[in-house]
Amino acid sequence: MKGPVSVKIEDVHVAFGHTRVLTGVNLDIEPGEFFAFLGPSGSGKSTLLRAIAGFGPMPGGRILIDGQNVTGLPPWKRNVGMVFQSYALWPHMTVRKNVAFGLEERRVDGKELRRRVDAALDLVGLAEFADRRPAQLSGGQQQRVALARTVVVEPRVLLLDEPLSNLDANLRVQMRRDILDLQRKLSLTTIFVTHDQEEANTMSDRMAVLNDGVIQQVGAPVTLYDRPSNLFVADFLGTANVLKGHFTSDDGGSRFMDETGIEITLDKKVEHEHGAVVLRPQNLTIQSPGAAHATRIIPLSGTVQYVEFLGSIVRYAVQVEPHVILIDESHRQGDRVFQKGESVEVGVDTNYLTTLAQ
Amino acid sequence: MNYFARTSLGPAGVAILLGLFLLVFLVVPVAKVIFVAFQDPNTGALTLVNFADFFNTSLFRESFFNSLYVALMSVVVGSVIAMPLAYFTTRFNFNGAVLIQTLGVIPLIMPPFVGAVAMQLLFGANGSINLLLDEWFGINIPFMEGLNGVILVESIHYFPFILINLSAALNNIDRSMEESAQNLGANGFRLFRRIVFPLAMPGYVAGASLVFLKVFDDLGTPLLLNVNNMLAPQAYLRISSIGISDPMGYVISVILVLFSLFALWTSFLAMRGKEYATVQKGGGGLMKRDLRTWEKVGAYAVVIFTLLIVLSPHIGLTLLSFGTIWSFSVLPDGFTLANYQEVIGTTSDYITNTMLYAGLAALIDVVFGTAIAYLVWRTKLVGRKWLDYLATGALAIPGVVLGIGYLRTFYEVEVPFIGQPLASWWVIIVVALAVRRLPYALRACVAALQQVAVALEEAAENLGATKYRTVKRVVVPLMSGGIIAGFVTSFATAAVELSATIMLVSAESDAPLSYGIYVFMQSAAGRGPGAALGMIAVIIVGVATYLSHRVIERGKREQALDAALAGGV
Amino acid sequence: MTKNTRNFRVAGVLILAASLLTGAPLVRALEDKLVVVTSFPKDLTGAFKAAFEKKHPGVEVEMLKKKTTAGVKYLQETASNNTSDMFWASAPDAFEVLKSDGLLQKYIVKATGIPDMIGAYPINDPDGYYKGFAGAGYGIMWNERYIKAKKLPAPKEWLDLAKPVYHGHVGMSAPSRSGTTHLTVETLLQGEGWDKGWAIWKEIAGNFNTVTERSFGVPDGVNSGQFGLGVVIDFFGLSSQASGFPVQFIYPTVTTLVPANIGIVAKAPHPEAAGAFIEFLMSQQGQELLLDPKIRRLPVRPDMYSKAPGDFPNPFKDKSIGAAVKFDVVKSKNRYNLVNSLFDVMITYRLNDLRAATKAIHDAEAALSGKSNAQAQKLIAEAKALVAAVPIDEAKGLDKDFAGIFKKKRKKATDKVTGRQAEVEAEWDNIIKANYTKAKALAEQAKSML
Repeated sequence: MKGPVSVKIEDVHVAFGHTRVLTGVNLDIEPGEFFAFLGPSGSGKSTLLRAIAGFGPMPGGRILIDGQNVTGLPPWKRNVGMVFQSYALWPHMTVRKNVAFGLEERRVDGKELRRRVDAALDLVGLAEFADRRPAQLSGGQQQRVALARTVVVEPRVLLLDEPLSNLDANLRVQMRRDILDLQRKLSLTTIFVTHDQEEANTMSDRMAVLNDGVIQQVGAPVTLYDRPSNLFVADFLGTANVLKGHFTSDDGGSRFMDETGIEITLDKKVEHEHGAVVLRPQNLTIQSPGAAHATRIIPLSGTVQYVEFLGSIVRYAVQVEPHVILIDESHRQGDRVFQKGESVEVGVDTNYLTTLAQ
Repeated sequence: MNYFARTSLGPAGVAILLGLFLLVFLVVPVAKVIFVAFQDPNTGALTLVNFADFFNTSLFRESFFNSLYVALMSVVVGSVIAMPLAYFTTRFNFNGAVLIQTLGVIPLIMPPFVGAVAMQLLFGANGSINLLLDEWFGINIPFMEGLNGVILVESIHYFPFILINLSAALNNIDRSMEESAQNLGANGFRLFRRIVFPLAMPGYVAGASLVFLKVFDDLGTPLLLNVNNMLAPQAYLRISSIGISDPMGYVISVILVLFSLFALWTSFLAMRGKEYATVQKGGGGLMKRDLRTWEKVGAYAVVIFTLLIVLSPHIGLTLLSFGTIWSFSVLPDGFTLANYQEVIGTTSDYITNTMLYAGLAALIDVVFGTAIAYLVWRTKLVGRKWLDYLATGALAIPGVVLGIGYLRTFYEVEVPFIGQPLASWWVIIVVALAVRRLPYALRACVAALQQVAVALEEAAENLGATKYRTVKRVVVPLMSGGIIAGFVTSFATAAVELSATIMLVSAESDAPLSYGIYVFMQSAAGRGPGAALGMIAVIIVGVATYLSHRVIERGKREQALDAALAGGV
Repeated sequence: MTKNTRNFRVAGVLILAASLLTGAPLVRALEDKLVVVTSFPKDLTGAFKAAFEKKHPGVEVEMLKKKTTAGVKYLQETASNNTSDMFWASAPDAFEVLKSDGLLQKYIVKATGIPDMIGAYPINDPDGYYKGFAGAGYGIMWNERYIKAKKLPAPKEWLDLAKPVYHGHVGMSAPSRSGTTHLTVETLLQGEGWDKGWAIWKEIAGNFNTVTERSFGVPDGVNSGQFGLGVVIDFFGLSSQASGFPVQFIYPTVTTLVPANIGIVAKAPHPEAAGAFIEFLMSQQGQELLLDPKIRRLPVRPDMYSKAPGDFPNPFKDKSIGAAVKFDVVKSKNRYNLVNSLFDVMITYRLNDLRAATKAIHDAEAALSGKSNAQAQKLIAEAKALVAAVPIDEAKGLDKDFAGIFKKKRKKATDKVTGRQAEVEAEWDNIIKANYTKAKALAEQAKSML
């Protein structure tokens, strides 16, 4: 079998009638990569996935798989495996029949067919359920059948549409690993769609965040989390405190000024004038007013609005001017927990913040 | 106690009323007629000897097999006609899909007599097509010869039942069911055969069994084509022969009824457990595909050819209604408006009556159909299935039997204040039409109800709505598409009903259009005017059908768009 | 205008004037409504309705169209609460059925000048329950374009229809479906004798294209060219011609004239109006309407023929129409249902077998012509005899007990009849089917020798 292949998306546009769903999408997905499309509902991520499989309206632009332009090819000529969100198992066929379907379409028959179907069912651990009907299986088992049915035909690319959304929480974690294992084992270029950042973070090598049919940022999960390129990405990937304002620069660095008068001095130079400062809760500290702190920490005075004790961390919501700023303080045995209504100082570490252009 | 009162007594009361209605207007009249079948003709004692006679007579055995053959072949031919129409219009972006679907329903509203006359003129041994074939190639194809003619006319007339049910089933298949098959390499006919058709099977079987039943029981077509050796005509000829009170006609009626019920039951059994809940969460509604140019050309060619065939009775009828003399020629000798002028004065009564009767009957049907569907599928009342069986059983009752049964049962019942026998009051025609068309509406309502999730009802009840208000405010609005479809089918077919009507019309001023057409078609000079009247009937009912289709389609489109935008596509 | 109608007019004006002046109920007033159950086409009923309503203003005539058989059924089923006044149809036998069920009432016609017989058939019911108002005779109609295209000769006699050249081109209605057809069948059986009569019918029927369910199906089929020739009652042929269809009609020499009838239903709600309608029908004014080209029926008043167009047949003068056979009404009545049943069993329901046998015989005869082969000739004769064979002889057909099986209107529980119609028919059917199959085989065998 040939090694994993690349997927290249060039300036793809998709519209349903007059409604534009995807605009100017460009992506390079490396061979063997586990790639995620992440975005809220309506962002166009499923449409993009379906376009790769050949479903939906004919897109503008080009889609290349292994260098081959597949844009005009019908779905059945692409050899791209897709697992549907609903699994789309055919209720009138047994598990075995479902899994055999793609091979039969490829004119595989007899012993070879049997061997490969058995192998695929073994791979997903469902050999003993081969003669059941889909309706007699649990959600997780159905998911596995759908996977087996797709990989048995040895597709060039594996597409997963919200693969975990119909499973309960425990199963989801298990399934995440199983899918990853499977992907590594088969070394298949895999693209999956999700609206859940945790899923994207844990599973993908790289991901693309989509919003309103436009790709916001592409990169490894850590990069995107730590270096979001815009407010949407910053906000969508985890909790973020956002302060909007303007920057003034001098030789040494820049100074950020919020509309309400909060000032943060930065030791690096910021090019743009209007923008925002993004502060992750775990990068902030909380202390009693007037307590000593490092020089690069800028203290902002406020009042504790509420406290959530979560065990390993304590989450504080602190009213600073008109803003409510969230702080995650890791909790060690015996640490003091501030109470609601206490006056506190929020410490902003200028090493751990992100500045964004407006 | 309170719980009981709130949840069961209401439905039970409704069920009892519906049961009574069916008992009085279906079971009793039919029983009165077919009772004769169990009477010894010589002594009047109860006996089964008449049934022995039936099976001992080779003519009846032959008739039985002919009826079976014709019914099966009509299903086959009807399927061949319906499948491309249903598939193309539900799966592809097809200009005028609504129009095609409407045209596809038009054959159902072919008024009696005129259809077969028109078909003879076009396809008969000396009809237009054969005259042309003879002139060009010197051949003659026996389209209308004997059983062929019956099969051709019946399948053209009844294939819409397959079309309607198959289209609904196709629309209900989750898009991803097909997409996953395409993704795995299936397309075209293989995709249809392996995935689409099996999933649409319940809808197809529902439609096909309806066609089988209607054809098996149908009387008018074989009679008009002078085919006698089938069961229904044998029954009719024997029942209606002057002065002969041979019980065989009634025996055949009983056999028709029993066999039809048996066929219904078999289709029930065959489909049990196969009602796949194919609409799954998150899958999104149906997505239609664009066709490539050459595919479009092919698809349009198939659709247009099919439409030409299924609309041929109407094409013939149009020619007949505008024609002067049409005799042994490809086209009428000349064209004229005289036929329309002749009927124009007489039609307004017929039209009003038709609209009134068919409208009321269809209204009764959807109200009863919704009620029965709900009682059967959503309550646990004892014997609720029997309501379904009874109402559906009306399918198996030949119109003549019901008509005679009504005369026998209700002639001595005076209507209070009107001072007229119930059997000759115009309302009885409405009741007869309603009973005869109830199965159509019921099936549509059941299909619609099955797509309303129980959770939606539970949510309403959870918020404090009573059963009655839940049905009214949540269930019925969600079923509206199916209810309208049921109304249209009942209305359109009731508007052209004749077999029971002709027994029950007791005053010309009470007569509906189909009766008027019948009156015209009994004389040489009346053929043109009769055809004109038939055209008027087709146009009125056709327009009504088209408009309600538009209403349904608009609702569907809005839903589909909502789903598409919300579903993250 | 005749004296009679003038008197009516004057009376009408006077009555109208009187009622306008006084507002009082009319003396001997007709009821305001008249319900007529009829099988006649709109062309006929419409004309009479209009003329009658004009003559008797205030009476609304309701023409309730039912096929004859359905009309009889309707009157039977509704008798307990009757709302119909009159039954108006062609077939005398339908009236016989109603009469024997006690569903008609007697009426004495006041109009004079109507003879007792038309052709060989009595115009009125001797018991006075129904009246003939017009005559009609059976004949052959054909489509000119059809016979031209198929190069067929025009027929003249019934027997012409049995010629091989007409194979598959002839249509007729079943006697069990059409009372007038029944009379035609019976006339030939009486004129030619039981066995010969049936043999002729089967020779003709061997050429049938179809046996229609409605009597109107025959002219309809000929008019549209579905088949070329039909055995029809005259007004069907003549009115089709009048409507512009390219058809011809002739009376063969052996035919019968039968009256079309009208009777008052027992317990009629509007008896006075019903009586007036009969009188109108018999009056000169009413009879003249029959000459209308769309109606074309033979008046029962001989004096009307002077007003008829030149080619109009006059049964009271032209003795060739309907006079050749002395029609025995009693005989006909006694075996009525039996003849119908025999026809259906032997012809209607076994038409395909009969046609196949006939075709084989025609082919064999054609092959034989000009040659001499005694054995083949014998086989053909045998085949013809088999086709012609009737399961029962005339005596049996007239046997009261046997014919009773086919009547079966048990009046009292003590009435005993042995045997069931279905049983007898099944037995006949087996014989007939075997005969036709064997005849076909014999004819084919004969042909293979030539």
